[in-house]
Amino acid sequence: MSENIFNQTSKNLKKKMRQEFADTMLEVGMKDENLVVLIGDISHFVLQPFAKACPNRFYNIGICEQTITNMAAGLSKVGFYPVIHTINPFIVERSFEQLKLDFGYQKLGINIITVGSAFDYGALGSTHHCYGDFALLKTIENMQIIYPASCEEFNTLFKQTYANGFPTFFRIPEAQHQMDLGNITFGKGVLVREGKNVTIIAIGPQLKTAIEAANMLAKDNISAEIIYLHTIRPFDKELVNKSINKTKKCIVIEEHGKYGGVFDDVLRESKDIMNVKYRSINIGDKFIHKYGTYKQHCERLGFTPENICDKIKKELL
Amino acid sequence: MKTNGDLRYAIANTVYSAGEGHIPSAYSIIDIINVIYGKFLNINKNDVTNKDRDYFILSKGHGAVAYYVVLEKYGFITKEDLMTKSKENAILGGHPDCTKVPGVEASTGSLGHGAVTALGIALGLKIKQQKNKVITIIGDGESNEGSIWESALVAANLKLGNLCYVIDNNKSTEQILPMTDMAKKWESFGWEVYEIDGHDEEEILKTFQKIDFSYVGKPKLIIANTIKGKGVSFIEGHGPWHHKVPSDEELQAIKEELL
Repeated sequence: MSENIFNQTSKNLKKKMRQEFADTMLEVGMKDENLVVLIGDISHFVLQPFAKACPNRFYNIGICEQTITNMAAGLSKVGFYPVIHTINPFIVERSFEQLKLDFGYQKLGINIITVGSAFDYGALGSTHHCYGDFALLKTIENMQIIYPASCEEFNTLFKQTYANGFPTFFRIPEAQHQMDLGNITFGKGVLVREGKNVTIIAIGPQLKTAIEAANMLAKDNISAEIIYLHTIRPFDKELVNKSINKTKKCIVIEEHGKYGGVFDDVLRESKDIMNVKYRSINIGDKFIHKYGTYKQHCERLGFTPENICDKIKKELL
Repeated sequence: MKTNGDLRYAIANTVYSAGEGHIPSAYSIIDIINVIYGKFLNINKNDVTNKDRDYFILSKGHGAVAYYVVLEKYGFITKEDLMTKSKENAILGGHPDCTKVPGVEASTGSLGHGAVTALGIALGLKIKQQKNKVITIIGDGESNEGSIWESALVAANLKLGNLCYVIDNNKSTEQILPMTDMAKKWESFGWEVYEIDGHDEEEILKTFQKIDFSYVGKPKLIIANTIKGKGVSFIEGHGPWHHKVPSDEELQAIKEELL
């Protein structure tokens, strides 16, 4: 059992993702006077250094996500690189049409930086969960989707993309995978570990679980290859297919619902490779009615190294 | 000829040619848009992305044909563009599209978007300390949308004096979800409110001219009292002409009333 990921709290992480968000805004905002940050009344305390260093470029707009999102289109039109920030479902689901029409259709740049990944707000209940976000956002032409699960990843990928003129969605989880992945590039997945018997594709903090699983499998002489995707869209077809071509067995581990997540992309993009067996561990298609900790949610939903190993051994090998 | 009879006839003729369009919703705003483009805002047809330009957004996008005939009158688009509206490869459709039409700032149609984009533009100009003006036309029906009232709160709180909403108060929602005491509502939200006859070009222009568009101040709201279908007796009012295409005989009758 990987205690590292399940027991992660703000206390035992070196730095919180939300702090990295604030630090990155300060770092970029000091250099680029076109960065403007709009928030929906969360994270205001942690963003105070940015607010002080970049006067007139920080606005706590209020609790009105449609307007926060839509007005960023106006800022983009006059040359700014807007960042909007609040809890995932309140932008992606409540303001979906604004994302679709004001940014996707008009191809205006925006950086949507959300907390409340999947069931991170496990103790708060279903209103604060969001695990259909990739499915929804992938229907919007021009939308880039990034899921960084370490501070370094967020900092690097934000700097690589924030000014490229596209709408870019960042799903920021609370847990981190705690891996040093070296140099990373937007749109390019990472081959974390080479193997030959099975491909494990992991996203978000579940990379850590996947590594634990691969270590357990190694004891049984099963060699697992691990691919980590920090960029969900565009999808790194080349890296994924190269691995699937080799192993012919693939399991996707994702904190996303059953429909429209990375597993769907993997199936679609590798459909021409013959004789492949696929499995997926995901959140399913039901509301989560339980409360509890991140660890409890992960265990109940099957995001454990033991479950990954079990599924691989019983259903793929 | 009636006021803007030529533009009103061009609207009817464009809808006739396209086989689609909202004539009454265009007739209620045509006089306002004609003043905005002809006499007030600084928007150059040869340089539609100039950073010093003023901004206009037709938030009630279904009034598009009024916008189109004005854009044609002032040289942004051509008569041929009008006559090909809604054809497969046309630049003009049922709602204005900024990805196709020169001078159009936002693709509107879904109500409650364009005004909020205008709000964002006004904030951006304020941050840059630029003096450009920002005007948007919203409908009284569009004012049912929650985003309009969110933006009313936000624009006042941000003191966007450079932002002006014009409500085309053509009573389209009067029998559905009435927007009663509109002036009081917006005043209580912190806006500077004007109420005018939206078909009186002189009053429209004078009102725009007396507004202080400084980027720090109260946002401005002009309630333009208008009539759906204004100018043609049998089109006026809230009725079957909302999205009706005139027949040959009706087009002739419209022409006779207007020109």
